[in-house]
Amino acid sequence: MKNAIIWFLLLLIGNLPAQELTGEQIIHKVNDLMNQETMYARMTMTIITTSGQERTFEYESWSKDFGEKNLIRYSKPRRVKDQAILMLNNADDIWAYFPRTKRVRKLATHAKKQKMQGSDFSYEDMGSGDAFINDFEATLAGEEEMEDHDCYKVELTKKKNSDSHYSRLVMWVIKENFVPVTIDYFDEDDSDRLLKRLVQYDIKEIGGVPTGMKLVMYSKEENKQTSMHILECKYNLPLDDNLFTERGMKK
Amino acid sequence: MTRIAFFAGLLIFLPLVCVAQQIEIFGYFEPQLMGARIGSELYQLSSNKLRVDLQSEISDHVTFGANFDYITYHGKTEWDILKFLPERTKNQAPWTQLFGYNFNPYVLQFNDRQFLDNAYLKLALKYADVTIGKQQLSMGTGYAWNPTDVFNKKDITDPTYEQPGHNALRVDLPLGAGYRITSIYAPTDDWEYTDFLLKLKGRISHFDFSVLGIQKQWRYTDARLFDPLLMSFYQIPTKRRILGADFAGELLGLGVWGEYAYNDIYVNATKYVIYKNAVISSQSASQPMNIPANYYELVLGVDYTFDFQTYIMVEYYRNTEAHSDHRNYSFNDWMHLLFAEKRSITRDQIYAFVQHPLTDLIDFGNSCIYSISDNSLAIIPMLTYNIFQNVDLTLIGNIYFGEEGAVYSDNMGNGGLVRARVYF
Repeated sequence: MKNAIIWFLLLLIGNLPAQELTGEQIIHKVNDLMNQETMYARMTMTIITTSGQERTFEYESWSKDFGEKNLIRYSKPRRVKDQAILMLNNADDIWAYFPRTKRVRKLATHAKKQKMQGSDFSYEDMGSGDAFINDFEATLAGEEEMEDHDCYKVELTKKKNSDSHYSRLVMWVIKENFVPVTIDYFDEDDSDRLLKRLVQYDIKEIGGVPTGMKLVMYSKEENKQTSMHILECKYNLPLDDNLFTERGMKK
Repeated sequence: MTRIAFFAGLLIFLPLVCVAQQIEIFGYFEPQLMGARIGSELYQLSSNKLRVDLQSEISDHVTFGANFDYITYHGKTEWDILKFLPERTKNQAPWTQLFGYNFNPYVLQFNDRQFLDNAYLKLALKYADVTIGKQQLSMGTGYAWNPTDVFNKKDITDPTYEQPGHNALRVDLPLGAGYRITSIYAPTDDWEYTDFLLKLKGRISHFDFSVLGIQKQWRYTDARLFDPLLMSFYQIPTKRRILGADFAGELLGLGVWGEYAYNDIYVNATKYVIYKNAVISSQSASQPMNIPANYYELVLGVDYTFDFQTYIMVEYYRNTEAHSDHRNYSFNDWMHLLFAEKRSITRDQIYAFVQHPLTDLIDFGNSCIYSISDNSLAIIPMLTYNIFQNVDLTLIGNIYFGEEGAVYSDNMGNGGLVRARVYF
């Protein structure tokens, strides 16, 4: 009888569902994964235009304080070499440096809407730090397979006082490692209008951090796409605060 | 021949030196064709500019940078400046006698030129950056006008074009938390008129601001007094002392910026007496030109980017040295404007700019410059096309709508230019 009770209890525990994560908990885990204490990356960005032409850029990026500070500096092609964008306070403060005129220009946050070198990535997509947490409310919309991964489907709706330029995002987060393998971006004024989709491919562990080595942003309204390839990436390396200043922008 | 030999030498030896010293070579080639209707004539001028940049990290803390420009001009390479002036003012131009013949000194000549534009050493020390040599110096937050930038004068039809280098010693001292002190010293031909600048830059909330003091030698040219032996106009040096400030930030979702400069002009009494005597003894001028004791310049700007990627900007500019009535523009005022000695001769102006990406590779922009003071307008459409990876094509038009005598009248020459730029 005693054994029967133990077997019954074990059976009961075995059939209990694992405690489900909420949308907010998932997004916090995504945020923690994406915003490591510091990060350095060297990347290429290839734009395939509507007319089928290709433009390739190479740049370096540094981030510190869990994504709160970001610096992007182009190294190729010659046309844009040494142009730099500095974003502080989760991209609430933005400066652009133009080496041909040696001028640094402070930009307002509306500049985050602008496309990065005509690509499908806006500056908001590139360096907004805690934006997923600060600008959106997250709800778990279900579980789905996406890009051959078991994923949480999370719906992010823009908060009232947020300055994000998207009304909502839909994110598919890999259950195993919390990588947001796919993100859909919807128009600020029309929440049914899908603007673009970001997909991460070739996920590898770098310094213990699962990282998509290739990111592609597909424009849903224009026949074009932008892909980014990570050439080199390091996490949690020592970075001087001076890098994230006007002096650092000018190298 | 000397030039060809120089460039042949440069082409042969530079790569060898660069390999040895790990010098990076880059730059661009920029052919340009410009056309304008001046009066009843059609002018065309083409140019070819080759800019070669050298950069080397000599050590962890020392950088060497330089660029050499070579520019050739073709087509109409002599422009009679008097043709840009209104009839009333044009008649004030004195004719100069040279060897018994009438001689027009008001001709702008586009001669081929080659020069060392920048050449500097930058020392990145632990607590300061020190830059020595010919270097670009740019001040202020304004887009079309920069009252605090005494080193450069932007071309209002193309304000983002690069500015030339200036010989100076510059020290930048970061103070932490976004604060920085910049000091600039530039020698002049007279110790009393040495150029100095001291600037404090900081940040409060989402605003950048700076306050600065400048002393700059400033020459006022009297274009009525021409010395045929020296082949130059009479210039009186003054000491221009400036107290200025600027800011840039965000208000109600709009980008906002401003710039202010109070100018105090000091003229040495002895030099002024010599100048007055030169005026009295000349046959071409009856009164000395007006040199203001002080004046101020102010810029206020605002910009915004719409969701559909259109960018708009409006900037207001006031210069109290300039006139509020175009009937007061003197012959010297026009000459100072056309030879870039003054930023403006019209007191209040508005610059409006709109830009939209037509495709991924083509941007269309349009600038309008309106003089509130004389009710004249210039419209400057611009198209830029990234035709290949490192090749840009730019088309700029100039159309003027102002009555005779106004600053943006069609005397300034309706026309445009086509410019290609190939980066290497």
